[in-house]
Amino acid sequence: MARPSAPERLRRLLAVVPWVVARDGPTLDEVCSRFGLSQAELVADLDLVFLCGVHPFTPDSLIDVEVADGRVWIRYADYLERPLRLTPEEGLALVAAGTAALTVPGSDPEGPLARGLTKLAAVLGVDPTVDFDVELGAAPAGVLETLRDAVSARRQVEIDYYTYGRDQRSRRLVDPHDVFAAEGQWYLRAWCHLAEAHRRFRLDRIGSLTMLARTFEVGTTRATGGRSRTIFEPDPHDPRVVLDLEPKARWVAERYPLESLEELGNGRCRIALAVSERAWLERLLLRLGPAATVVEGADGVAGAAARRVLSVYARRTGEAAH
Amino acid sequence: MSSRLERLFNLTAALLSTSRPLTREELHERVPGYPADDAKGSARRAFERDKEALRDMGIPLAVEEVERDGTLIEAYRIPRDQYALRDPGLEADELAALHLAGAAVRLEGLRGTEALWKLGGVPGEADSGAEAGALAAIPTIPELVPLFVAVSERRTVTFRYRGEGREVEPHRLSFTRGHWYLDGHDRDRRARRQFRLDRLESEVALGPAGAFERPADVRSASTPPWQMGEEALVEATLRIDAHLAGWGVDQLGQETVTAHHPDGSVEVALTVTNREAFRSFVLGFLDHAEVLGPPELRDDLISWLDALAG
Repeated sequence: MARPSAPERLRRLLAVVPWVVARDGPTLDEVCSRFGLSQAELVADLDLVFLCGVHPFTPDSLIDVEVADGRVWIRYADYLERPLRLTPEEGLALVAAGTAALTVPGSDPEGPLARGLTKLAAVLGVDPTVDFDVELGAAPAGVLETLRDAVSARRQVEIDYYTYGRDQRSRRLVDPHDVFAAEGQWYLRAWCHLAEAHRRFRLDRIGSLTMLARTFEVGTTRATGGRSRTIFEPDPHDPRVVLDLEPKARWVAERYPLESLEELGNGRCRIALAVSERAWLERLLLRLGPAATVVEGADGVAGAAARRVLSVYARRTGEAAH
Repeated sequence: MSSRLERLFNLTAALLSTSRPLTREELHERVPGYPADDAKGSARRAFERDKEALRDMGIPLAVEEVERDGTLIEAYRIPRDQYALRDPGLEADELAALHLAGAAVRLEGLRGTEALWKLGGVPGEADSGAEAGALAAIPTIPELVPLFVAVSERRTVTFRYRGEGREVEPHRLSFTRGHWYLDGHDRDRRARRQFRLDRLESEVALGPAGAFERPADVRSASTPPWQMGEEALVEATLRIDAHLAGWGVDQLGQETVTAHHPDGSVEVALTVTNREAFRSFVLGFLDHAEVLGPPELRDDLISWLDALAG
């Protein structure tokens, strides 16, 4: 690891010194583990503090550092008795992470995190229950907890899954590797025995699940592609669809990865995107309606989908006529 | 020759311990390690760099003008009351829980490690769960930090949104469905509004602190898109077939369900003030959902589909 810069080391020192000042000789080991320092780094920092102080740098104006029997005392640094206040960025990071972690199903709304967050937020002047809210995503009751248990116990799980892109339900046996939230949704990353491949599953599309007694080996099926958490990964072999978008459909170009984008003037544009699932394309075209024109690759898709949905309405309108 | 770290540490100590503001020359006398004041201004440049480093860390550096030999020059100090962290009084288990939360939920692009150092570092009991790794990554945008300041200090904010300048009393920041939102009172429109923060068209400028009272009822950010409009309110009834009933109810909440049918389908009642967003939501179900009423919404969907059916 690169040696931290002087300002980086100063940030840490200005936290370490007040912490030691407030205590009667903590052990060097404890200081190291709390502040992520090696013994050598800590000793180098303490040696430096020992030379510091205020003008005129006579013995009584220097900070006193004493190291004995693996413990450390710092004295004559009363101007450093408190740590530096939190920056807004640090306050935001802590409050947001704490608020988000509290929304994870299974967390204790009156536990140490909730108590700590309330105390911290009071110092920052915010009320985490009113001013601030972080939702990681919806997950059916119990699904997240069960999957996290299965991941840590390395037990296989059978899920009833709704594949949104193909509008299909299926039962699948999976080896669960990882559960995480991204972009407002919870996901499971797993080896799927039905697909015989690594798959990502959205937790809100898992209808039911059963944790099996059978365990799996991690090394054999874990993804080799690193811990990438990219949610949308188009396959270059997927069919290509070219659409002309009216200005009000511009959000499509911003939301999905495109193969190409060509401005047509007056806010209109022509986009090409890879589409692997027909139901996904049907939804997109039905929603866009006249704001999108198919140029290539999706002839008749919208019309057929519209007629299929209309048949649902025709049934009931027909019943009503009897 | 002393190191830059030593110089920065002594500079901080000098500025914190002084009872009166100190000029640059006075600081050069009191803090060892500055180069000699030569024609190229080396000492001045080194001092400017150090001031910048302290400000970057969030150290409040007060600048005042003092008179020396008949001219006004800048002098500096760090007010201790502004410097010091108010002690939140965290117990060891609470600090450990905050550490775990920070490890589990990562805010992309925000620094959080130093914050824990300031609060007392990572207590030993936090180690056990930390290897579980990040559970969630939340994207952030630069405007989030000033908006957080504005919400906590009740400062009004101004920014451009949808091509217009806005002046807003910010009430609440929220992250939902993958995006950050600000709820607040739009002063020009005299109404509550919600802003999606990735659609801000300018930087955020902050007004003075304590500029407004927090309202007692801050609107939740979980407002569904079909309620984010100002059209005449209608109550829509939607039937979702057995294939997607469970998923639909998970999304909408049990409280919306008005009927369960023997074939496994459900009926839900939804309040709609944005018809376009409602249509878009319903079409997401493809042929697994049907708008039962009111006739206005049902007919709207049918004519939309008729136009596409060709």
